[in-house]
Amino acid sequence: MEVNRRGFLRLSGAALASGVFVPWSMPEVQSSPQDRVGILYDSSKCIGCRACQMACKRWNKLPQETEVAETSPAEAANLYKLYDTPRDLSADTWTLIKLNKRSETDWHFMNYQCMHCADAACVTVCPSGALYKDERGFTAYDKSKCIGCGYCTQFCPYGVPALKTKSVLSGEAKAAKCTFCQDRVFSGIGGPFCAETCPVGALVWGSRAELLEAAKSRVEHLKSQGLGSVRLYGEHEAGGLGRLSIMFGEPGDYGWPVSPSTPAVARAWQDILQPLGTLAFGAAGLGVLAFYFIARRSIKMEEVE
Amino acid sequence: MIGNRVRGVQEMDQAGAVRIRWIPKYSAMERVFHWGHTVTFLLLAMTGMVLFFPFLGPLAQGASGEFTRLLHRAAAIAYGALPLIYIILEPRRAWMSLKSVFKVGRFDIEWVKGMIPYYMFGRHEAMAPQDRFNTGEKLNAVVIILGSVVFAITGLLMWFGKGFVPIGVFQAVVILHDIAMIVTVCMFIVHFYLAVVHPLMWAGLVSMRYGVTSAAYAQEHHALWYYGKERAEEIYEAHKAERSEDKK
Repeated sequence: MEVNRRGFLRLSGAALASGVFVPWSMPEVQSSPQDRVGILYDSSKCIGCRACQMACKRWNKLPQETEVAETSPAEAANLYKLYDTPRDLSADTWTLIKLNKRSETDWHFMNYQCMHCADAACVTVCPSGALYKDERGFTAYDKSKCIGCGYCTQFCPYGVPALKTKSVLSGEAKAAKCTFCQDRVFSGIGGPFCAETCPVGALVWGSRAELLEAAKSRVEHLKSQGLGSVRLYGEHEAGGLGRLSIMFGEPGDYGWPVSPSTPAVARAWQDILQPLGTLAFGAAGLGVLAFYFIARRSIKMEEVE
Repeated sequence: MIGNRVRGVQEMDQAGAVRIRWIPKYSAMERVFHWGHTVTFLLLAMTGMVLFFPFLGPLAQGASGEFTRLLHRAAAIAYGALPLIYIILEPRRAWMSLKSVFKVGRFDIEWVKGMIPYYMFGRHEAMAPQDRFNTGEKLNAVVIILGSVVFAITGLLMWFGKGFVPIGVFQAVVILHDIAMIVTVCMFIVHFYLAVVHPLMWAGLVSMRYGVTSAAYAQEHHALWYYGKERAEEIYEAHKAERSEDKK
């Protein structure tokens, strides 16, 4: 693409603006369903070419996986498992295609990436505000704010965020996950690179409401073709996922919870423990202050020597 | 004079001046332990709270975040090492202190009953005789000891166990660490008030600084420790009878 002067200025202006405004577009921004963006993955169209996987690596400048997973006996018995390379999402792999084989004739691909839940557990537990809900509905991530506590990796119902640990001893680490290519979206270059790269339209992005309509009619169409096990995943799960999936079989086949939600303990932390702590410290502080004034008035020091 | 005395025997020297007899109460190790624990506890609370209160979140980010993260870990090592050093260097004293801290008797219940009149209005006459630690100090010690055990286990799990510990356990561990923090910090506020701020309570601060207490103060406030169990009970019952006769 040729970049002329005006285009360059506009682009850098947008980049600057995104750099300035992203950190201040803080959490708790409720998105209306109309302007919420999303990604739709259609397993019935996916050919497993992994272009999305490579696009993700390229745009986000993610290095290749250095640790090669050992093949477990169970995986050796199901050789198709070896298709999954690498085995799981990690701090360096934010998009991954896996093969799900239920029988010799019944197998499908699945694309794994961040689900961009409306009700995101990772955002609830993130203590530094590095993870936040963007007004367009995706679960955004500001790496400079991440402190490496790893709570997001432990509370996400899909196990998506991963921690890249520099030193266990000092605790220096950064979490990483799919960001919905927020840099591309904000600077107006386009949508998530995975969706833009997909050669067969299995991965598309756009207004979530529109994607939802398209997905529903696609599921109806596939059912009318005799594919009974097809379903849409993500319409209501975890407050509605930003990543909708047309999939075959059960969510459990893919390691996904049927009804994911923010763990109750995560809610307890924010809704009960923090107010309780504030209240307890305040009560203790004010209590001893009140006791101090009562004691000072009522105890006559000269009498007690 | 040292001791807030209400009753007890004044000891005079030949010139008629009041003579203070100092008796040892805390060893040097115990004082280092106590003050070291105070400093590291405060450091840990301050560096830990940046994750607890959302409005302190900015302090956890960037360079200051790296600093608080390192400080929290360094202070945690000292916080955990201090009691271990105490136990290794003075095992008998440590065992003695631990035993007396966890011992609950009828005098503790009576002490709690007399607590409010004493701390708010300075009425010491009714206080039950106490051991080397009084009931309040024992309560503080028990809360801090149990809290520290929770801190140590949950802290080490969060530090080294991420990825190895099952996710449900890790989630509980994060919550437990916070609960222990809330309880111990509240205890610390009360302990700080009674030991440092309260107008009557400076004798304890002096003992924790210099390791000694005056005999007069020990007679009044730690009779079980000073006189032994039998004699302390005798004196206590006699005073009780005296007071009830006065009322009649």
